Amino acid sequence: MKLIKKYIPLAIVFVFGVLTLASYYIPHKVSVDYLEIVSQWENIVYAFAFLLGLISLFYSHYHKIARKADGWGYSIFVFIGFLAMVIPAYMSHGKQSTETGITLLGWSFRYIYNALSSTMFAVLAFYIVSTAYRSFRIKSKQAFVLFVAAFILILGKVPLGQIIWDSVLGWTHYGVSDVIEWIMSVPAVAGKRGIMIGLAIGAIVTSFKIIFGIEKQYLGKD
Amino acid sequence: MDLLAHFWTLFCGLFVITDAWITAGAWLAAGLTIFLFSFLYKDNPFFKTAEHLYLGAGMGWLLQVSFYSVLVPKVWEPLMRHQDWHDWLVLVPSLLGLSLLTQFVPKISWISRYGFTFLMGYGAGLAIPVGLSTDFISQISGTVQPLSMMASMTPLMIFNAFLVAFGVICVLFYFFFSVEHKGHMQKVSNTGIYFLMIYFGAAFGNTVMARFSLLYGRFDALYTFSSARYLYATQYILIGMVVYFAIHGFLTRDKKEPEAAQ
Amino acid sequence: MLKENLQKFFKIDRRWIFLLLAAMLFIPIMKPLGLPNKTISRDVQHSFDFMDKLPAGSFVLFSLDYDPSTRPELHPQAIAMIRHAFKKNLRVGVVTFIAGSTGLISEIFESVPKDYKKVNGTDYVVFPYMANPTAVMTQMASDIYGIYDKDEAGADSRTLPVMQGIKSYKDMSLVVEITGTAMLDYWVAYVGDKYHIPVIGGVTGISQPGYGPYLQKGQLRGLLGGMKGAAEYESLVKVPGKGTSGIDSLNLGHLLVLILISISNIILLIIKWL
Repeated sequence: MKLIKKYIPLAIVFVFGVLTLASYYIPHKVSVDYLEIVSQWENIVYAFAFLLGLISLFYSHYHKIARKADGWGYSIFVFIGFLAMVIPAYMSHGKQSTETGITLLGWSFRYIYNALSSTMFAVLAFYIVSTAYRSFRIKSKQAFVLFVAAFILILGKVPLGQIIWDSVLGWTHYGVSDVIEWIMSVPAVAGKRGIMIGLAIGAIVTSFKIIFGIEKQYLGKD
Repeated sequence: MDLLAHFWTLFCGLFVITDAWITAGAWLAAGLTIFLFSFLYKDNPFFKTAEHLYLGAGMGWLLQVSFYSVLVPKVWEPLMRHQDWHDWLVLVPSLLGLSLLTQFVPKISWISRYGFTFLMGYGAGLAIPVGLSTDFISQISGTVQPLSMMASMTPLMIFNAFLVAFGVICVLFYFFFSVEHKGHMQKVSNTGIYFLMIYFGAAFGNTVMARFSLLYGRFDALYTFSSARYLYATQYILIGMVVYFAIHGFLTRDKKEPEAAQ
Repeated sequence: MLKENLQKFFKIDRRWIFLLLAAMLFIPIMKPLGLPNKTISRDVQHSFDFMDKLPAGSFVLFSLDYDPSTRPELHPQAIAMIRHAFKKNLRVGVVTFIAGSTGLISEIFESVPKDYKKVNGTDYVVFPYMANPTAVMTQMASDIYGIYDKDEAGADSRTLPVMQGIKSYKDMSLVVEITGTAMLDYWVAYVGDKYHIPVIGGVTGISQPGYGPYLQKGQLRGLLGGMKGAAEYESLVKVPGKGTSGIDSLNLGHLLVLILISISNIILLIIKWL
């Protein structure tokens, strides 16, 4: 029993991990075909994995409605929102626009989903400003450097800022866009590169751990 | 069957997008936008409704995208065609995917390990060459390459190239936790922190601009929907929200006063 | 006394800050302020100059790959560049690899061609959405009609006057890619580098710094970045649009952030000294 419950899954990780890794470094038609087929497979399995999350969500909200827990009325709107996207998609066969204009799905996307998702992200702008006022305290030299870099970038991105810079620091003959370009291509690049290299090393080590079965948390309880 | 198809076509005809539909859509979009923004003033039922609608609509949208761009063309159509063994091969990922759904039945949830292990194996195998080539080797080569072309660079460019290389090394020292940061090691890693701070400051500046652009986009949409063509949607909904908050504030103030009196 | 007042000011209810920000961003929308637009960045100027120098009748391929979430930054860029192309009497072809773009593309071509008296099929053509970018890009190198045998309205592409003499990239003068995704990297890698056709990009403000290497090496002839890029291009084409009005709002918004951060730190310093 342990064979099919534990050892075969671990063998699958190892086999697919090593095959995928090898296919990148072995220039042969078989590698290319393998990668094409397996990436298609991954798309398909991922689509089913999404269903997992969907069913989970519906389960929890359905129980909330059934138990009439606090705020159960709002859970009904989760289902309404879901149907507001899925039914038009079925009626329009997944197309947002045809020769005659936008379809019901296109309408739904533009006036429901797009309005909701863009607004959710736009609300963050308000929080950025209020947090900047209340929490951006310069308490150390490093915070001061952060502040100066952010200040120059925010100032230089808009024409009014450029004019202010020129009127105060115009005598240096360095426009704010030149300074921004230097910041973005020298010190910021150094910081970003260091982070990327560190992250890459971490990802590679974790991937090897997964392939060789050292990291088994994702399998769940034995 | 023909009658059913005929009625379905008639029914679908009701949903052809006309000008009336566009106006209704404008009211809906303006309403949902203002409901979400109303959270900035105070938590309220309208915001909660819009939030739950967003959750449902987001899942619905992702489902229809994964259905019409993956499940239908890559699973359903090959299986319906079944011309050669390539078409039958899609049964393998489909079964692996279906195995994931056994997660909900505790007794057979171990079957889901087959689907998960395939995803993890492929993902881990993919992450290594991608991480190595894009994030590791090309970053190092990008740092070192200018130093090899020094003959053709101006003094400022040479200084910049050295500064980048120096900065990358300092940042890497900062992240090297296996050795204690003291003495000279600490000085180097402190320098790395300064480079990181410049990067974060620059990233913050960029983020501010992007978020403001999005916010401007929403305000622009609200302004468009406030015109006569859309029957002054923005104005009516805003006034409605203000009236709601006023009445709600008035009613809850009455509730608070007797409590305070007690 | 002063210390208490300053500390009260520090702890101001954040809803006043929200209201201030909303006002700063909304007022320019209602009444454009026309704040001065200072410099035109080098990459936008290069983009403009390149398209300006193309002879009339040259074919420009626009790849518009953005959806409503990046609309505020990218839509004005697309409109400004298409206006420029129409002004110079260039032939315009439009393709897209993002399903969400189709609605936005129809919006552009509902209104812009009329201002220049351009006709669908004769002066411009819109091709339907295609899902697989790399496959399509490679196919267009040999025969564009293998993929785009019909335009979006269903007409046969080969018979359209605008497509006369156009079979592949060799017959095109320029590719313009406007996107909020990494699609520009694909165009540069699979088309610009391989088939030596000039590429100009239009990207969001966040992605803009990442394309420095391509501009340095000449793989990109020019780049428009975010709303600022759109506003600059609009001022070069001399048709102010949403980019310019957006920049007014952003001007005030950015200044507000800087003023608030500076004030809070100045107050902090004063409180420390008192």
